[in-house]
Amino acid sequence: MNILEVTDLSINFGGVKAVQNVSMRAEKGSITSIIGPNGAGKTTFFNLVSGIYKPTSGKVMLDGEDITSLKQHEISHKGISRTFQNIRLFNQLSNLQNVQSALDARANYNVFEAVLGLPGKRKKDKENRERSRYFLDLVDLGDVAEERPNSLPYGKQRRLELARALASEPKLLMLDEPAAGLNPTEVEEFIELIRKIQGVFDLSILLIEHRLKVVHTLSNHIYVLNFGELLAEGNSEQIQANQEVIAAYMGEDED
Amino acid sequence: MGYYASVLTTATINLMAILSMYVLMGLTGIFSMGQAAFMCVGAYTAGMLAVRTSLPMVVVVVISVGMGMLSAFLVGLPVVKLRRDYIALITLGFGEAIVALLNNLSNVTGGANGINGIPRKMNIYLALGVLAVLIFLLLNFKNSKFGRHCIAIKNDELSAAAMGINVPRIKLLAFVLAGGITALSGCLMAYNTTFIEPMAYGSVKSIDWICFVFVGGVSSLTGTLVSGLIFNLLPEVLRVFSLYRIIVQGAIVLLIINFMPQGLFGEYELSDLVKKVAGLFKKKPAVAGGDKQ
Repeated sequence: MNILEVTDLSINFGGVKAVQNVSMRAEKGSITSIIGPNGAGKTTFFNLVSGIYKPTSGKVMLDGEDITSLKQHEISHKGISRTFQNIRLFNQLSNLQNVQSALDARANYNVFEAVLGLPGKRKKDKENRERSRYFLDLVDLGDVAEERPNSLPYGKQRRLELARALASEPKLLMLDEPAAGLNPTEVEEFIELIRKIQGVFDLSILLIEHRLKVVHTLSNHIYVLNFGELLAEGNSEQIQANQEVIAAYMGEDED
Repeated sequence: MGYYASVLTTATINLMAILSMYVLMGLTGIFSMGQAAFMCVGAYTAGMLAVRTSLPMVVVVVISVGMGMLSAFLVGLPVVKLRRDYIALITLGFGEAIVALLNNLSNVTGGANGINGIPRKMNIYLALGVLAVLIFLLLNFKNSKFGRHCIAIKNDELSAAAMGINVPRIKLLAFVLAGGITALSGCLMAYNTTFIEPMAYGSVKSIDWICFVFVGGVSSLTGTLVSGLIFNLLPEVLRVFSLYRIIVQGAIVLLIINFMPQGLFGEYELSDLVKKVAGLFKKKPAVAGGDKQ
């Protein structure tokens, strides 16, 4: 059973074909990785799936439902949650409120209940605050709940972003280079964290990552992009043995 | 009504309009350079109804606020999908257009002569009462999911949308809310001054409001209130030097922006202080209990 099915996805920026006819599938409950050299179109692919860009052609199916033409927030409500390559947190909200933002977007009180501070609104807010605390604890940030994101070190900001993405309890979690800028210890911790989260939520994860260690340890299936096109796919061993992939990463062998 | 009471009433009503700028700029990060036009909408709706019909004040106020919200909705509909700088331009254009419209539709609005003879029904108590209610509602708004949505959008629109926040809708909500508040202020102003004319609501007034909010601290409701009060009372205090008023105001804005870019209050709210003080008092009984043993 596939949670995500992408068929012939393409986008052109002017004359630049950033992503061309990429087809891929992500199996439910698995970790699927997308790797490739810089500028291969990985993040563009993520932006297409999560609705930031509209594709020139092609189709995106989430859990059997066509989500190609939906807007960003609609896609979030359908069950795709993501993190960003360059961390994008809300710096004027507390860490707890950052996580809560995902739950707030799903809270069902209206503006009159809000401005009058009616009991229904208070109850919902309280529930969501407690729920957010659970996600903060999950990534080990419970002790900094009331602080602001910009006072956190880089590695913790990454974990906060992960908690925020998890809080909407997505069907598919998309992580854009979650281990970038982490030191080797933090990378180990990160791998452990992903395993733990997958155990708790039975998540499907789509991962972009440059650290091959992370990719090979975690992935069930790997897709390789190069110049916006799909170069290869397979499991970890197959990709490591693939001559085309090695050439794309290391450059062609002259003789 | 005494002189001080009358000055304070006018300041209080102006303060309401400045609060609408807090909703737009402080919470949501939208620059509206034509916000005074909504005050104009409120004032004219109230003025025309009060002079030409015998509707009670409450009904007139409700209709005026409704008109403000409706016009904010119509302007907001195309505006909220644009980038920040374009929003500033379009609202500026809208503001000037409203003033021009009222100036030229002289058979309906009285043109540049304005509208005379509106009954004076405002006093200091009523004004303060309305302001208090407004602050209560706005604080609740800020501390709800809507307030947090607004701040999230101000901080990072892309990321807010990725969390499932309908960004254009929340921006429109902020716009309509602000339009309603500004129209309320305009309506009460009409009942306060008994006379309205379109030129008083040009972009200069909107830009004044932007300056006030920045001086007080763009992210602080308390700051907005304090600086709004100062700048509204300043002209009265400096009445003798009225020629230099604008220079003094400009100097204060420049100094604040240079030396305190976060504004006087930054992100601090009076309610934070109240909470802290309340926290101190809560701890005391425990200590006292310890002493007894």
